[in-house]
Amino acid sequence: MRFLLRRAMETLLVLLVLSVLVFLLTSLAPGDPAEEILRRGGIQPTAASIAALRAELGLELPLPVRYVRWLSDVVRGDLGLSYVDRSPVTGEILSRLPATLRLAGAAALVAAGLALLASLRPRGLGGRVITAVTVVVASVPPYIVGILLISVVAVGLRALPTGGGSGPGAVVLPALTLGLAGAATLTRLLRADLGQALALPFVRLAAAKGLSARRAVTVHALRVAAPNAITAGGAVLADLVAGAVVVETLFSWPGVGQLAISAIRQRDVPVVQAYVLVIGAATVLLLALADLCLAAADPRVRRP
Amino acid sequence: MRRRAAIVVPAMLLGMVLSGCGGSPETPQDAGLLTLAAPRDLVAGPQDPYFTHQTLRVWEPLVSVDDRLRPVPALATAWESADGGRRWTFTLREGVRFSDGSALNAEAVVANVQRFLRIAPRQSAFFSLDAGMEAAYGQLEEVRADGGRVTFELRRPVADLPGRLAGFYSMIQSPKAFAASGDFAGNPVGTGPYTLTRWTKGQQAELAANPHYYGAAPAYKKIVVKVIPDANARVAALRAGEVDGLIDKGALLSGQVAAVAADSRFRVVRSPSVLTHYLTFNGSREPFSDPRLREAAELAIDRRTIADKLLAGTAKTGAAFLSPVFGELSDPTVAAAYDPAKARALVDAAGRPAAPVTILISSAETGQFPYTDIAEVLRAAFEQAGLPAKVTVAEATKAVMEAGDYDVFLSAYSVPNGDADYLFRRFLRSDAAWNVDRKLRYRSKEFDTLVDQAATETDQAGRRDLYRRLQRLLAADRPMIPLAYQDNPVVTTTEVGGVVQNAAYVIDLGKLTPSG
Repeated sequence: MRFLLRRAMETLLVLLVLSVLVFLLTSLAPGDPAEEILRRGGIQPTAASIAALRAELGLELPLPVRYVRWLSDVVRGDLGLSYVDRSPVTGEILSRLPATLRLAGAAALVAAGLALLASLRPRGLGGRVITAVTVVVASVPPYIVGILLISVVAVGLRALPTGGGSGPGAVVLPALTLGLAGAATLTRLLRADLGQALALPFVRLAAAKGLSARRAVTVHALRVAAPNAITAGGAVLADLVAGAVVVETLFSWPGVGQLAISAIRQRDVPVVQAYVLVIGAATVLLLALADLCLAAADPRVRRP
Repeated sequence: MRRRAAIVVPAMLLGMVLSGCGGSPETPQDAGLLTLAAPRDLVAGPQDPYFTHQTLRVWEPLVSVDDRLRPVPALATAWESADGGRRWTFTLREGVRFSDGSALNAEAVVANVQRFLRIAPRQSAFFSLDAGMEAAYGQLEEVRADGGRVTFELRRPVADLPGRLAGFYSMIQSPKAFAASGDFAGNPVGTGPYTLTRWTKGQQAELAANPHYYGAAPAYKKIVVKVIPDANARVAALRAGEVDGLIDKGALLSGQVAAVAADSRFRVVRSPSVLTHYLTFNGSREPFSDPRLREAAELAIDRRTIADKLLAGTAKTGAAFLSPVFGELSDPTVAAAYDPAKARALVDAAGRPAAPVTILISSAETGQFPYTDIAEVLRAAFEQAGLPAKVTVAEATKAVMEAGDYDVFLSAYSVPNGDADYLFRRFLRSDAAWNVDRKLRYRSKEFDTLVDQAATETDQAGRRDLYRRLQRLLAADRPMIPLAYQDNPVVTTTEVGGVVQNAAYVIDLGKLTPSG
């Protein structure tokens, strides 16, 4: 119980620091959002309407006042209005979050599936191939991987759509692009840990007793190797959610990442703030969740 | 069995992810359906002053522009001015109905103008109801309906009111489309060949033929316009046959045009646009406070190479301040001189600056145009002329420029309608915000007087001469130089015909036809 409470307090503190950072980074970014908003279409706004818009957006207030106002709205679930079209940002984020979660979930399946496949038979050909492929893919930027997949699979073979949120096949290419990169970390970790675990005396004893190799891995070794993988899994999952930005843009995937990119282009500060806050909070919570899983799996962690 | 599970479960999970493989992507072969893609959402929503972009042809303006920015009839078939440009009367097209079936009349036009005036200034995803709107309606005293005609009474003469109203600022929708706040109450209700039937923000808009359209019924019963912001993804979708064409501002990057045009499945339409790449000089500090060095800078630049090579032939060499899309207003006698030897001589005479000149570009524009490459070419040209130079990429160029911390700024500008006055008045008049805040320090009484004269000169030939004099003045003074006039290439498959784009990137979707 005390462990849970301590972790909760820590998480809350991290979230508060996160909110300050998000607010400061986006508010202190150079450039005048009022001018940018009015400069649509490449035409030059008048000074009077820039001043009027700055007042309307509350940009003239002192920074601490703006932060407190913003935070109290955020806590109540109000992420403000988009500078561009005045629509509520909360609704915008919520309507796009499922697409990002679907993509991140599919990518997580790819990553976890590949990592498990590669680790269960560490010395087999399949394992070696998967490890090699994921490491190669992970060392190439996802943007390049995505373009290659699009030009070969979608444009060349016409086997799958180039992207977009429609159709059941549309998720495959973005999920592969995103998942392959995540798989590399997991695969290497799991393979190394599993190799060590298999060498532990009690696992070898189990094998000596006549236990099948598969059973020795799944029942005994995987448990010993799990803690590191859980920690890495949390980080990889957080990476997938955040890393969706590039992949979503490339594949016209209607998620929050694509929203963030277009918001950054248009200097739509409330949307950018909301995106960074939501992704930041998701990362903090995922890592906290991984910690809890770790504590459940490994009693040593729970000791103060 | 248990040992099998270890391998079967992950394999199944993977299989689930890959299960979509069998389904072939949707093919837009459906007769009467056209699928297009654009870099941005051409629908902005009910809080926007216009709801949709003019290109979607859901609403129509009173006046539109052609490929030479000349005002051409849309909902108004004719116009005339009286009282030296103080009174303008527009005759409305007869037999026009809104998409809800109600008739277009002069009262509806008046209601639309009054709504614009009431809600301005108001930001928009397309053109803010701001400076351009002030140019269109700033002198308006009264607007009234006379039967099938609308009369604008102005406080001061405006020589080119139809051009200033052209496009967004004279959008006409049914007054019933608007709520009391000026926002839209529901979907837009216009007079164009299409109506907006479905819209998924940031993803796609669906249009259906408007049964009440006064003109010939459009060939495509339904049009889907997808939003694909990434340029490579757009071309991939075109190549994969998922879309029939790419439209709107920046549909193709300059570097993509040649490859797409070489593919026999596609037809690229290149038409001049209102966008011009300008170099703006910081005239408030050395070295470019010295007119000789501004001249040297201009002579050092090989504008033809920039237009042909770096912009891959999607632009024409810049010369006169007004681009050729302004038709006869553009001065053909202003030439783009390139003389590196003379540039060097000028620098030697004026004295080499000790500190390097800063070439500023905006990071927001580097994604759209090859500005990093152009800036490097400018840097090399300046250095050859004896002006040491460096390139700065900034995100907030406004702050940098207002601090005076630049020497040359490369950026693209356009006009909201067919309004030539706008460029001179908003950028270079002595009191223009651009001129003053961005430290151009261009002060010319002659220029200011000519700008004011031209704006009120109703005689066509007289006005043309005044604008040409202005351009010759700018060519000599050089507060800004036009580097290149940008085209806007768009592309469709060869199965789509009738693609005509005006200078403001507007394609008449109602005129597109399936061609053999």
